[in-house]
Amino acid sequence: MTSTTLMSVEDCAGVVAEFFVSVYARVDEWRGAIEAYTSDRDGTVARSGIDWLVEASVERDLADHRLPIVGAGFVAAPGFVSDAEWHLAWWLGDANTFGIGTDRPAIRRLDTVEDPSSDRFRDYTTLEWWRIPRKTGRRHITGPYVDYLCTDEYTLTLTVPVFSGAEMIGVAGADLYVKDVERALLPPLRAVGPDTTLVNAAGRVLVSTNPHVATGSVVRSASEKGSAPVPCGDTGLFMYGSHQGMR
Amino acid sequence: MPKLTHARSLPVAAVFSPLEGAGRAEIVAKRLSDAIVLGVLPNGERLPSESALAKQLGVATVTAREALETLRRAGLVRTTRGRGGGSFVTYRAGAHDRMLDERLREISRVELRDAAVHYTAIAAMAAELATERATDDDVENLRSLVEGIDSSREDTARRGQASFSLEMAALSQSARLVHEELKLQAEIGALLWMFLREQDYRDRSAVTQRKIVSAMGALDHDLARRLTVRHIESAIEWLIDTKVGLDAEDAQ
Repeated sequence: MTSTTLMSVEDCAGVVAEFFVSVYARVDEWRGAIEAYTSDRDGTVARSGIDWLVEASVERDLADHRLPIVGAGFVAAPGFVSDAEWHLAWWLGDANTFGIGTDRPAIRRLDTVEDPSSDRFRDYTTLEWWRIPRKTGRRHITGPYVDYLCTDEYTLTLTVPVFSGAEMIGVAGADLYVKDVERALLPPLRAVGPDTTLVNAAGRVLVSTNPHVATGSVVRSASEKGSAPVPCGDTGLFMYGSHQGMR
Repeated sequence: MPKLTHARSLPVAAVFSPLEGAGRAEIVAKRLSDAIVLGVLPNGERLPSESALAKQLGVATVTAREALETLRRAGLVRTTRGRGGGSFVTYRAGAHDRMLDERLREISRVELRDAAVHYTAIAAMAAELATERATDDDVENLRSLVEGIDSSREDTARRGQASFSLEMAALSQSARLVHEELKLQAEIGALLWMFLREQDYRDRSAVTQRKIVSAMGALDHDLARRLTVRHIESAIEWLIDTKVGLDAEDAQ
């Protein structure tokens, strides 16, 4: 069987980048709202204020089912929120079944433990979705990974650093289900050919047209990769293209 | 996304996940008492209110109230009224040991072995997939988790084992394996890892965990699987030996 290459690997990498840019556009809007709000208050922000702002910002996007976003919000840098040393303002979308079993989900807030003396507290500044934007000052895609604490599913987390002047005051972010990303990106990957694979910076597969390449597996050796990786814009993701439509 | 929680909150997520099927007050009480015995809910931890607990577990408020009453009678929680009040875990090692001994007396060997088969199927596959799929960073993170486990105490060793098993399941990249791991930990975790009562077994567990991490680093998925299977087998053998002792006591 033969198939024709309808799209080059480079063009497909562009389509993949655009998909994530459309999500980042939403996150950037929330980030902008938080930065403007903070600047209006000379950098002093209370918990109730930030919660109200974040909820108002993410609510509509979580309800918009054309967007693949299943979790969204803002995680504050320690000490930034005046009346909460550690603070998360995170909402779950109505497609997110975390913690509610088979009930019909609604948009709701994620319960968190913000008391560092509690055994259930975790210093989130050590986690990848915080650590990398902190280090690079740039947006970052974490995953795919099984997120047992927030989506209960195989997930990607997109985070963007939020600034007040030169100081990073937190990250804004969105969770996506990998199954939704697959639905969106498999068609353009197919248009490249039957051995097209999208991986993250660590080589973990997000989606592949090759039936032998499982999502979640890691492409380790050069021979597995088959061809040179093509970066998908500045997403940190890479594509390995097929052999020009041959099978 | 947020993991505003210790690695320990994996097990906590299982404790408060919705209950399926019929069952109710006793099941709620059993799940919470297991979590207390397991060290997942530590001494002094505040439990959710009756209504919050009912909502989280998907049961009626009256059922949650009944379950909490059972825990109070067993001396596992105390409830205070007024501002800052609520139900708090009270940890008394002796009471917990007696409860687990009771569970071990009641369960038959065939049930015990069958539970171990089920758990082994999940944990061994998780170990195999985790080895294939972990990146170098993942292995390093797991190594530091293992090094951070305080194996001089039973509760921290139990919590460490629970976190280690869950992290392995997460590294398999399978959401279903993670769900199964959480479910089985809530169901049989307290009983299964009873051998962590003894320092000798806490030391052995620590060695096994380190060996599994090394096998993962070497991409030896067969070895990671075998070590996992063997670890569960030795936990079951300890339980059956102990059960023989308890049965003999009862016969006197």
